[in-house]
Amino acid sequence: MSFIKKFIEQETINRRDLLFASAYGLGAVAATGLMGPGMARAAFSDPTVAWSYRNRTNPYWNEIVSGGEAFVESLGKPKSFLTHLINEGSSEKSLADVKALLSKTSGELALAIDANDAPNARPVVEACAQVGAYVSTLWNKTDDLHPWDFGDNYVSHMTWSDEGPAEQTARILLEAMGGKGGVVHLGGIASNNPAIERLNGLKNALKDYPNVELLDAQPADWDTQKARDVMASFLTRYGSEITGVHCANDTIAYGVLEALRAEGIEGMPVTAYDGNPQAVKHVGNGELLVTVFTNPHWGGGITAALAYYAAIGAFKPSEEPREHREFYGPTIQVLPEDAAKFKAEYIDSVPTYDWTDFWGPSNGQIEYK
Amino acid sequence: MTDSTMMLPSVSRLLSRERLVRWAPILVLGLLVLFFPFFEWLMDFLEGKGHAYLFDSRFFSIRNAARIGIAASPGLMVAVGVTFIILMGSIDLSMEGTVSVCAVLFAFVFLAWGATLASWAWLAVPLALVVGAAMGFVNGLVHIWLKIPSFMASLAMGFVGTGLALILTGGDRIRIEDELFRSLLTERIFNFPVMVYVAFFFLLVAWFIQSRTTLGRNFYAVGGGEELAHASGLNVERVRLMGFTLAGVFFAVGALLAVGRIGIAETATGNNFLFISITTVVVGGTALWGGIGGVWNTLVGVLIVNVINNGMIVIGLPAFFQDGVLGILVILAVALSVNRRSTSFVK
Repeated sequence: MSFIKKFIEQETINRRDLLFASAYGLGAVAATGLMGPGMARAAFSDPTVAWSYRNRTNPYWNEIVSGGEAFVESLGKPKSFLTHLINEGSSEKSLADVKALLSKTSGELALAIDANDAPNARPVVEACAQVGAYVSTLWNKTDDLHPWDFGDNYVSHMTWSDEGPAEQTARILLEAMGGKGGVVHLGGIASNNPAIERLNGLKNALKDYPNVELLDAQPADWDTQKARDVMASFLTRYGSEITGVHCANDTIAYGVLEALRAEGIEGMPVTAYDGNPQAVKHVGNGELLVTVFTNPHWGGGITAALAYYAAIGAFKPSEEPREHREFYGPTIQVLPEDAAKFKAEYIDSVPTYDWTDFWGPSNGQIEYK
Repeated sequence: MTDSTMMLPSVSRLLSRERLVRWAPILVLGLLVLFFPFFEWLMDFLEGKGHAYLFDSRFFSIRNAARIGIAASPGLMVAVGVTFIILMGSIDLSMEGTVSVCAVLFAFVFLAWGATLASWAWLAVPLALVVGAAMGFVNGLVHIWLKIPSFMASLAMGFVGTGLALILTGGDRIRIEDELFRSLLTERIFNFPVMVYVAFFFLLVAWFIQSRTTLGRNFYAVGGGEELAHASGLNVERVRLMGFTLAGVFFAVGALLAVGRIGIAETATGNNFLFISITTVVVGGTALWGGIGGVWNTLVGVLIVNVINNGMIVIGLPAFFQDGVLGILVILAVALSVNRRSTSFVK
């Protein structure tokens, strides 16, 4: 009956191992609890760098991601070192992709992300913080979610306040209209935050111009073809009452210009937003009055850079002041007179940025209303 | 008593379901064309600056008809393409990808070969049509060889197309600034821009194919009863393959008009064409299970959708109403065309 004896012996050893293992495990958990999240792991030497965004079809996101690629190249790595997580406008996919990448890299990750919508930012940040990865967010987060509540792991959040700059473009437009007449606004997707802010900018400016009437404001979904159709319908409805057009972004403005061209209307003042190369060219030609450049290339690069340098321990986010954790991105107005200079500086050659100058071009701490 | 029994059958014959289904789309279009000017008149009247109904209407004017024409032309071409497929009882959802690829390849070749229609660059136009045909052909092959339902095969091919367009452009937009090509939009004959005539010409071509060619009759045969067509010795798979190829050509025409309209070719050129084209085909009265309808139905459908889009803004209704109204129209159109007594279950 030696095999029975052997079995009993084996079981005894197993049980002892199990007890040891449990004690060890508990101790480890207790230790993690003592040190707090984010302290449990040392900085990574070579974390994976990832950008999670909608898709590349949109010129704006294309610029953002090209900034991310420029950043990884500054590390002496190929463009392909940047992992792309493409959510195609789905928050569920966004979160699922992040979780998958976290388990693949066992948390050795520096993530730059636009969470697609504000509520999705929290689960993403929590998933990262839980396994000790480092995350920086762009654009979308709820007002109650703050980087400083997550120690070092939630490195930073950057967004743009468009109300002020949109108000300035509106003032330029209203001046060009001679302070009288009728203006129409073509907006982004109705529920988008920047779309709302840019329309508010126009409304703020209109308060000082009582002789200008806001004839209509309709969403054009950031889409050139839709904007063209909406502008054509505006022309039917208001005809010569329209003396100025305020567009929520450049792609909408292109559609407006084409609708005007189809009707043979020339010299109508039109404003744009975003500072894409084509819009800057139109500003130079005098077809557009003004556009606002938000430097998405820098925004995309610096968001990845912040997460990366925090992950390798180059700086400690929790020791930075709050205006370095939540801040506004840069805005540069492009007027006809500076279109040529702007084109030379930002479009003909993409400027080489110092990706360790994290806050140089930024625009102050985010304010909540 | 005798009178009423005599009356009833004749009235019911006059308003028979078939007749209603057949004429409902054009009736809806007619009502819309009268309805929007009425609202416009009413609102002007309430503001105390009344105008003569219809005569002074901004909506009911040649200028606005031209605007609706411009808005409708590319969508009409795409919808005509998918009409052939729907007539066969299949569906093609690849239009967004095909339109994007055709637009982008056209723009690349056009710019590379001279950037104006007056040079060899004009060859980019037939090339775009060939590319469209090729994409449709592959789409059909995937559907037939791999025996994948057409809706899934074409949807997948559409994604492939969008991805391909994105790889080709790298997310950039390509400007076409040739005045000659842009005369599609800027040059007007009898108040309407050239692109409207181009679209009408291709509509006639489609009508010719549908009614005067064997292929056109075969579409109806396959849609009306595939087993029967097969049993009669018709090579159904070949008809399907030809149908998808033909649809690809019309998608390419739509792509060219879309580029001509805004002077930009990009991955987003194909956006929204899926929803618009399927909606217009269905609203026009072409039955989703095949065999009923045709390209003229599609023209009416396209006009209904574009009149609504334009009219809603002209009378100043918020944009979200447009989608809602279109959705209700689709349900009405399909509900009208279903013979519920002969359909026991729906999948």
